[in-house]
Amino acid sequence: MLLPKFEFHEPESIEKALVLKKQFNSGARFLAGGTDLLVYLKKKIVSTDHVISLQRIEGLGEIRENESDLFIGACTTMAAISRHPAVQKRFCALKSGADNMGTHLIRNRATIGGNVCNASPAGDTLPALLVYDAAALVISPDGKRDIPLRDFFKGPGKTDLKNDEILTGFRLPNPPDHSGAHYIQLGKRKSAEINVVNAASFLTIDPGAGNILSVRIALGSVAPTPIRAPEAEAALMGNTAGDDAFNAAAEIARSRDCSPIDDFRGSAAYRRAMVGVLTKRTLAAAFDQARA
Amino acid sequence: MKSYDVISTRANRIDTPDKATGKAVFVDDITLPGMLYGALLQSPHAHAKILSIDTTEAEKLPGVKAVITAKEAGQVKYGVSPARYDETVFAVDKVRYVGDEIAAVAATSLDVALDAVSRIKVTYEELPAVFTVEDAVKDGAPQLHDEFKGNLCAEVHQEFGNVAEGLENSDIVITTEMKSKRQDGAFIEMQGCIAEYDNRGVLTLTSSTQVPHYVQRTVAMVLGMDVGKVRVKKPYVGAGFGIKAAANPMELACCMLAKKTKKPVKMNFTREQVFMYGRARHRFHHTITTGAKKDGTLMALKHECWLDGGAYTSFGIATVYYTGSLLGGPYKLANMSYDGYRVYNNKPACGAQRGHGAVIARACFEQQLDMIAEKIGMDPLELRIKNMMETGDTTCNDLNMRSFGMAECIEAVRNGSDWDKKKGHMPPGKGIGMACGFFVSGAGYPIYRSDTFHGTVIVKLTEDGGTALVYTASAEIGQGSDTAFAMIAAEALGIPLENVRLASGDTDMGVDLGAYSSRQTLMTGHATKEAAENVRRQVLEVLSEQLNVPVEKMDIRNGFIEFDGDTPDFSALRTRYIKEHRGWTDNPDSDKLTFKEASRIAFLERGSIVGTGKYKPHSLGGKFKGAAVGTSPAYGCSAQVAEVTVDMDTGQITIDRITDAHDCGKAINMTSVEGQMEGSISMGIGEAMHEEVIFDNQGRVLNHDLAEYKIVTSMDMPRVKTIVVESDEPNGPFGAKEVGEGAIMPTIPAILNAVYDAAGVRVYELPLTPERVFHAIQEYRERTRASA
Repeated sequence: MLLPKFEFHEPESIEKALVLKKQFNSGARFLAGGTDLLVYLKKKIVSTDHVISLQRIEGLGEIRENESDLFIGACTTMAAISRHPAVQKRFCALKSGADNMGTHLIRNRATIGGNVCNASPAGDTLPALLVYDAAALVISPDGKRDIPLRDFFKGPGKTDLKNDEILTGFRLPNPPDHSGAHYIQLGKRKSAEINVVNAASFLTIDPGAGNILSVRIALGSVAPTPIRAPEAEAALMGNTAGDDAFNAAAEIARSRDCSPIDDFRGSAAYRRAMVGVLTKRTLAAAFDQARA
Repeated sequence: MKSYDVISTRANRIDTPDKATGKAVFVDDITLPGMLYGALLQSPHAHAKILSIDTTEAEKLPGVKAVITAKEAGQVKYGVSPARYDETVFAVDKVRYVGDEIAAVAATSLDVALDAVSRIKVTYEELPAVFTVEDAVKDGAPQLHDEFKGNLCAEVHQEFGNVAEGLENSDIVITTEMKSKRQDGAFIEMQGCIAEYDNRGVLTLTSSTQVPHYVQRTVAMVLGMDVGKVRVKKPYVGAGFGIKAAANPMELACCMLAKKTKKPVKMNFTREQVFMYGRARHRFHHTITTGAKKDGTLMALKHECWLDGGAYTSFGIATVYYTGSLLGGPYKLANMSYDGYRVYNNKPACGAQRGHGAVIARACFEQQLDMIAEKIGMDPLELRIKNMMETGDTTCNDLNMRSFGMAECIEAVRNGSDWDKKKGHMPPGKGIGMACGFFVSGAGYPIYRSDTFHGTVIVKLTEDGGTALVYTASAEIGQGSDTAFAMIAAEALGIPLENVRLASGDTDMGVDLGAYSSRQTLMTGHATKEAAENVRRQVLEVLSEQLNVPVEKMDIRNGFIEFDGDTPDFSALRTRYIKEHRGWTDNPDSDKLTFKEASRIAFLERGSIVGTGKYKPHSLGGKFKGAAVGTSPAYGCSAQVAEVTVDMDTGQITIDRITDAHDCGKAINMTSVEGQMEGSISMGIGEAMHEEVIFDNQGRVLNHDLAEYKIVTSMDMPRVKTIVVESDEPNGPFGAKEVGEGAIMPTIPAILNAVYDAAGVRVYELPLTPERVFHAIQEYRERTRASA
């Protein structure tokens, strides 16, 4: 398996990247870390005459703490996300997702923008981004737009990005006080795994009354895209946080919020059962953090 | 007890500096002037007739130097065992699996070669295909080979003692099944080779192989060449695990291309091709019945197994025999029967892999021992001790255990794991289990019928004195054999390890059957020891003449000559030595005569000092059909305790700890022995927990990379406590025998028994994916609810 021949471009600004993309139209592919794209090219799943690297564009690889949110550039690697203090402190579910992707070598190359644009239902950082209510920041020759992440995924490998757009990064609102979040991935082995099921939950509670002020649950590998679990979330809103509420929500997520299929990694029945287990466990762990 | 200076230590491996710094040369590091690149055309169909092959377009492509098919290659049949040669280099008339080789191209670059391959036009007539044992043996099933009706590649029927009577006299009879999945060896280095054909008609193949000797013979046979005109050598090899223990079609095609173009040709498998070629562990389906008395005495073992063989035989004849012959031990068992069937189908052929044939049978049987123990209320460890063979015992199928530290192994893991405190007292979701096993230290016979020595070694002393050169055709494939033989030579000769240089893996250096069946330490080790002792004797003979001291009154240790009693005056020898080395900085001034001086004097008296050594096993037991598969000069044995945690809601298993004791006779290099124990456990865990080659319904491998074929990662590996037991094997060099394969035997059943202890479920199919374990737990809960 040899890498096919293509022309390689390394623009140093977004503007130049946009011009190049327009010039080659759909014949060009953007490259961030390359851990998906190069494999697809070798396996001839994707063919292209032009590869436009985003790696030399300033700012795309940085994490910036703003007053009310965290900006993560699209070309930030899993390794960089994992060791960033703000991520460790306030977005630990995202750190878990980044830590669980592939191997050390992959994590040193793979980017969060690539993980999102690859749009695998099993993507490691996607449930966390969904429960942190991230927005994808997109630029095109026509200007900028923000896409809420829950609207970003359109199918396996399909996204809301238009042909002339570049994903520049993500904005994650700072979680309010008394919040917690947790991510769990389940596979056949303990690392370097493609998830059979993954899930993340986010909770904010009223520290006095103990009721749930906001909740988001995201599930991976159980639908054509990573999804939120709206019915389970609705069942939790306003209720008292605790095992009873979490068990009930887990049952709803299991029975109503997901639509898994059989494939060689696992059966639909097992995936569905695990949605229940992981929903319950991520909620409970998020709750522990929220009241800590 | 005899004390040693070199063996039995933790000497640094002689290949470590080169491997650690990237200097070690593997096939893919080699580029030769004018070298061409080869590529294979492989079948996209699992079963099809080849109606025509048109290579015109490929040949026209600039840069293409040769295109060969069965027309040029001929139709010489080859394989592993002469009893079953069922392969040709390129498909003749039909293809039998996705990946079956059809043609090969040599071109000036790999790009061009691959392009040319894509321009070869093959017209196929697709045939119905079969992919499972069950489908392949049905009436009217598509047939793979005309000569083997019913797709039955091989069958074995053996009975020792009287099984029916043994079962009748049993108080407890347990029958269970066990199914496994096709494995891949997942060695790091994909197969690769370079062939050169020189102006004098000598073909040299440099290949990533475990067995230069067998490859040499196969190349000579298939190309119709004199064996003496074929040289096979191996550079460093990134493991093999059994899959590289025979010539592969790429090596043969590469030789043909080199011979045709008169230029060096290099070829490599991609990882996808490694999976397509297969030849790793079969998928087994065992049904075993074991009978025992109320007091735990094992009475009889009835064993049936179906092996999913794939399209060709490869090692299959040996596999189907090993599956039966290596089961009864390490227990005293008078009655044992075996019915084994290996079945062809349209998938890549299966072959040999670490623990050849015996791993899954043991996973089934060792679980039954635990079931019996549970029924009679006996500690499963005590049940094993009760039935354990002892040194000198012979199994009902004639395997003689000249040394057997099995009881010591069991006691070692009992203490090492704190078994007595833990067994029966583990908290919910946690469990402990154990198992035992044994394995051959080399086969009694070569794969082909011959009186050949299994290994020859040459030791030569450098003429300046002081350094011993060891030449062996054995195969260092990462296991540490070069270091082991250098240590054996140093020990036998009486010199430090740093004064030994070793070259290996080249058929020009002699005969060595190679790295398979855990044979090299014992067999090549013997030959090395003999060659080194021969050289040692020659040096001492010269000293004896010079100093007038009988040979038996002298010894060589740590590079010095030791005399029994008074040291004679050797100043004349020293003066003679120093006279020849005026101006040298390292002239000896020690109180003792050095080996360096002695070996230089020996050269001055006799010319180059060269010693040879050889080994072949003594006549081994068993007169029945198939007795040759399983008999060995020695058997290693082991016991393991596994501790696991089972997540009862998800079915995920965490292996917390493994305690492993192995009797290797004598550890030549203690660290290497432990490395083999840990490596075996890692491979056993992979097979137990997540490894399986998965096919689609067209016979194509779905998970042909190491992302989706899930070997053990560092995160899956538990803490391992290794305990080396040394029983001093009479048939081994310095008492040494195998460790490389026997150590995998107990791993899978120990885990299965621990899972039962933790979760109350017996799982009869591997791997133990979370999903499979989850369903087993659900069924168990339903069952216990229904009976409550």
